[in-house]
Amino acid sequence: MSPATSLRAVPTPAAPHPDLVRLRDLIYEVAGIFHADNKLAMLQDRCARRMQELQVPTLREYMKRLTTGPTRQAELIALLNEITVGETYFFRNQPQLEALRRIVLPNILQAKMNSPQQRVRLWSAGCSTGEEPYTLRMVLMEEAHQLLRGWTLEILATDINQRSLAHAQAGVYDSYSTRNLPALYRQKYFFAVGQQLQVAPPARSNISFNRLNLSDNPRMTLMQSIDVIFCCNVLIYFDLVSKRRVIEHFFNSLLPNGYLFLGQAESLFGVSDDFCLVHFPGATAYVKRRTARAGGGL
Amino acid sequence: MTTPLTGKRLLLCRLDGLSQVPTIPAVLSPLLRYLDQPVEKLDARKVTDLLAQDNALAAQCLHMANSPLFGRQQRAESLRGAVVSLGFGHVSDIALSCGLLNMLPARDSGLDPVVFWEHALGCALVCRHLARSIHLDDPGKAYLAGLLHDLGIIVNLWLLPREFRPAYEMAREEGIPLHEAEQRVLGFTHCESGRLLAEKWAFAAPLIEVVTHHHAPGKATENAGLVALVHVADLLCRMSGLNYGYMEQRQVNLFEDAGFARLARDCPSLPDFDWARLTFELDSYMDEVHTLVRAIYRR
Repeated sequence: MSPATSLRAVPTPAAPHPDLVRLRDLIYEVAGIFHADNKLAMLQDRCARRMQELQVPTLREYMKRLTTGPTRQAELIALLNEITVGETYFFRNQPQLEALRRIVLPNILQAKMNSPQQRVRLWSAGCSTGEEPYTLRMVLMEEAHQLLRGWTLEILATDINQRSLAHAQAGVYDSYSTRNLPALYRQKYFFAVGQQLQVAPPARSNISFNRLNLSDNPRMTLMQSIDVIFCCNVLIYFDLVSKRRVIEHFFNSLLPNGYLFLGQAESLFGVSDDFCLVHFPGATAYVKRRTARAGGGL
Repeated sequence: MTTPLTGKRLLLCRLDGLSQVPTIPAVLSPLLRYLDQPVEKLDARKVTDLLAQDNALAAQCLHMANSPLFGRQQRAESLRGAVVSLGFGHVSDIALSCGLLNMLPARDSGLDPVVFWEHALGCALVCRHLARSIHLDDPGKAYLAGLLHDLGIIVNLWLLPREFRPAYEMAREEGIPLHEAEQRVLGFTHCESGRLLAEKWAFAAPLIEVVTHHHAPGKATENAGLVALVHVADLLCRMSGLNYGYMEQRQVNLFEDAGFARLARDCPSLPDFDWARLTFELDSYMDEVHTLVRAIYRR
């Protein structure tokens, strides 16, 4: 290995188009999901699909549809659907799962060492078709004989969509959903049903699936004593007021120093001051501050 | 029977070897001296001529000049084109970065020199980005401080490769910060070995403080803001893919960090800065730095 000595310039990707950068910033501002420069090609591709459907020729005109047109809210949701399509699969965010296993769980157990109830409670808020809660269950099961020995584990899985919940409860998945599933987990926790895989009973235990609208204030107050919340690519669909209300509920649901994990490039910036951003190797999360603070901006 | 040398005695004993550490390539000194003049006195042709004296360095500079990391708007086909389109400030940053690359030993001491360079370059870019974002003076100075903060690791790689290896392996296996493992295994850290070289090379005082205190920003006196900036950028890089080739298994809360608190004194709006966005942007830096290094090394 030696450094290159040729004076020939190597091809490099073009600088991002300013309209695309503006669109990226708009999406971050209204939905809280950020596309770094290396993800802009993906964003452009997703916009192109919407533009083709709407017969809009340029990004600039599409931006107008998202900001000033009468259907801007509906169009924003359509674009967010394109951005998050195919985002539900097993073991979607490995650094997050590693952080849970190696750092978050030990922290929680340490904090609860003298608690009379040796219980760890996780909430998958917006669990869609169930890949996330089953993944969490499998990760916890792998720790059941060592780190979590003697602890009761509970996973609450909620979603607004009854059809998604029915899918989750059936626990049958195609190859797309299981594309990231490590072989060890495939062998231990699944069995084949034709071309598909079904979650085996041990990985289904201690998960409760329930329908819940995150905007349903009375029912949200019933979610209590949670250690970790996973809410990935759900809040992006909420307007700022609703988002703040949901986050306030999350704050009340979590135990002191509880954790909130969002989607990979999702942020609470400007939404809530009640949580503190923390960094893990290759992942971020939010930790509940000891007391709620007034105002926004983390 | 002689007792094996350990800790600072070992380091001091090897001090004579500091002359083994290659200095910044000869061509860089006149170039950097030239670039240190007021911009109106600079001539792109002269800069190009100075760079072209070292073919390898010139090639590396051209690769870097064509990376989006340096704000390239259009692809430069020639050194002259790169110098003109980038501006003299960036040329200086790029030349120094290549200079650092050429100081790394080829031998294997556990830590891959290319990985080390990726971390140094990543930290330099984050320092510059952060300095601009929070409106600190002189992003160029921040870049240089980020680039050279781990000078002591180069010293350790050159002078103590056999002793450094177990420290690096401990850090990687236990997922702990490298300086903690160095302290446990060697009895000193790269901050101390870096300070020795920085003083020998008569670095400017702010740089010496950065090299010496970037893991203990509270100890900095004259340039505490710059040291804190590098400390925070270094931390963010180590928690991302711009680390030393392994992940530190820990939780970092910037808001409880001493360096962050010090930086906030210079920049009261710091707690309101969008750290999540900066973290996501790091993801892009990471890709670009890896692409650039692959291009330079043709990996």
